[in-house]
Amino acid sequence: MSAATAARIDGFAVRGLHLARGQRVVLRDVSFDAPKGTVTALVAPSGAGKSTLLRCLNRLLVPQAGTVLLDGEDTAELEPCALRRRAGLVGQTPVMLPGSVRENLAYGLDPAATADEPRLVQALADAGLDAGFIDRPAAELSGGERARVALARALTRAPELLLLDEPTAALDATVARHVGATLTALAQAGLGVVVATHDLPFAAEIANRVVALRDGAAVVGTAAELLTSEPPA
Amino acid sequence: MSQPLTQILASAAFALAAAWLAYRQRLGLSRSLLIAAVRAAAQLALVGLLIALVFRVPALAIAFVAVMVLTASLTAGSRMRALPGSRRIAVGAIALPALGATGALLAVGAFTATPRATIPTAGILIGGAMLATTLTGRRLVEGLSDGIDEIEARLALGDRARDAVAPLSRRAISAALVPLIDQTRSAGLVTLPGTFVGLVLGGASPATAARVQLTVLLTLLLVQLLSALLTAELVTRAATLPGERVRALPESVGLSSPRVECRSAFRNVPRCRVLPRHREQGPSGEDEHA
Repeated sequence: MSAATAARIDGFAVRGLHLARGQRVVLRDVSFDAPKGTVTALVAPSGAGKSTLLRCLNRLLVPQAGTVLLDGEDTAELEPCALRRRAGLVGQTPVMLPGSVRENLAYGLDPAATADEPRLVQALADAGLDAGFIDRPAAELSGGERARVALARALTRAPELLLLDEPTAALDATVARHVGATLTALAQAGLGVVVATHDLPFAAEIANRVVALRDGAAVVGTAAELLTSEPPA
Repeated sequence: MSQPLTQILASAAFALAAAWLAYRQRLGLSRSLLIAAVRAAAQLALVGLLIALVFRVPALAIAFVAVMVLTASLTAGSRMRALPGSRRIAVGAIALPALGATGALLAVGAFTATPRATIPTAGILIGGAMLATTLTGRRLVEGLSDGIDEIEARLALGDRARDAVAPLSRRAISAALVPLIDQTRSAGLVTLPGTFVGLVLGGASPATAARVQLTVLLTLLLVQLLSALLTAELVTRAATLPGERVRALPESVGLSSPRVECRSAFRNVPRCRVLPRHREQGPSGEDEHA
């Protein structure tokens, strides 16, 4: 399907994405939709190209072929910083910026948003942290706490879509369930959520649709369909 | 025995003593120490002859200074070779501040515009600029490889590429200027700087030596700051890609100790091999995160 003929999707519409590194094809003619109001899981083993695909969505990486449309607009035509504010990415390694959790949450926001304490606290709560964390030095947090602050930091920007790279990798089962429930609730509230994970059961729990990467190509379906078919590994 | 001969013999004896001590301590440094000493002797003898020639033919001073800039740029550029155009960056960051300041000192009459004054002054300022360029460039290139996750986090939060690199850049500049600031504030208390020592040994009065040394040290403050700023700016430009992206560099290439992998699990004797610190490179120099 060409970009021109694609029906307008409210959210991401990925069409024919291709990316190779040297001789190795990482993404091979990948096409799928990730509409707002749903959770889309990109499922594949480690090293199969999930993070690469996620970075193509917010143009931290530029594919060699193919198109990514956001609300029907080619992301290549959008201003990159504005695109990344609309589609917030939480990386696999939760990076804490210097300063307190509050400074991390408010990073890059305008002063009014920075002073909006309830908004920051709500973002923390959505990520599974209580308000007591807000003035803690970010450098002193554990790996799991950092992952949740990184998620909260993305949420304070009120993105239209949220891109998460292995969001539960550093979390214990209880917190992972909480984060999963938060993502589902955010999607029900209208946010588009795209989660890259190697954990198919987690994807089955939260995702409306699943995109499995097999040898760089995308297989789209529901988690139930993919669970009963050949595993993506 | 004449004083010059005594100086040569005494210094050679010290170098040999250092090599012998390193040999006795099994440090594996004896050969390097001897080669360094012989190289220094040969280079200084050659430079002495060249400068004597330049003093007789002043037009050669320009060529001499150009060689100093080129050598300094090659040295500083090699410390950030992971970055495209690193030598060009080094030439700009060293030549502009060092030659600009030399020209200004000569123009205002702080030093006489003769090869005898110009070459040492330019040499000290080029050396200082090289140090600032090397330290800033090395640290910033290191940050662009090891700190790529922080840069990507900032980009993902909506920063422009140069804003995402700016914190690393400021840290690199600050670190690069620490040696000069320490040297300047401890001048005369902890160490006697080279210019001062050289002038006093050459017969100048301590007051004259102190005045010249102060002129050089204070000029270096601006030269090194400008070199560090220029390096940071040029490295940032070279590291940013269209679309507000940042070029991922190979992990700490030529900057820190190589990774050593020990494969002893299936063998009785541990076998270690040195691995290049490379990340898989993407079509636009991006690294593999998948």
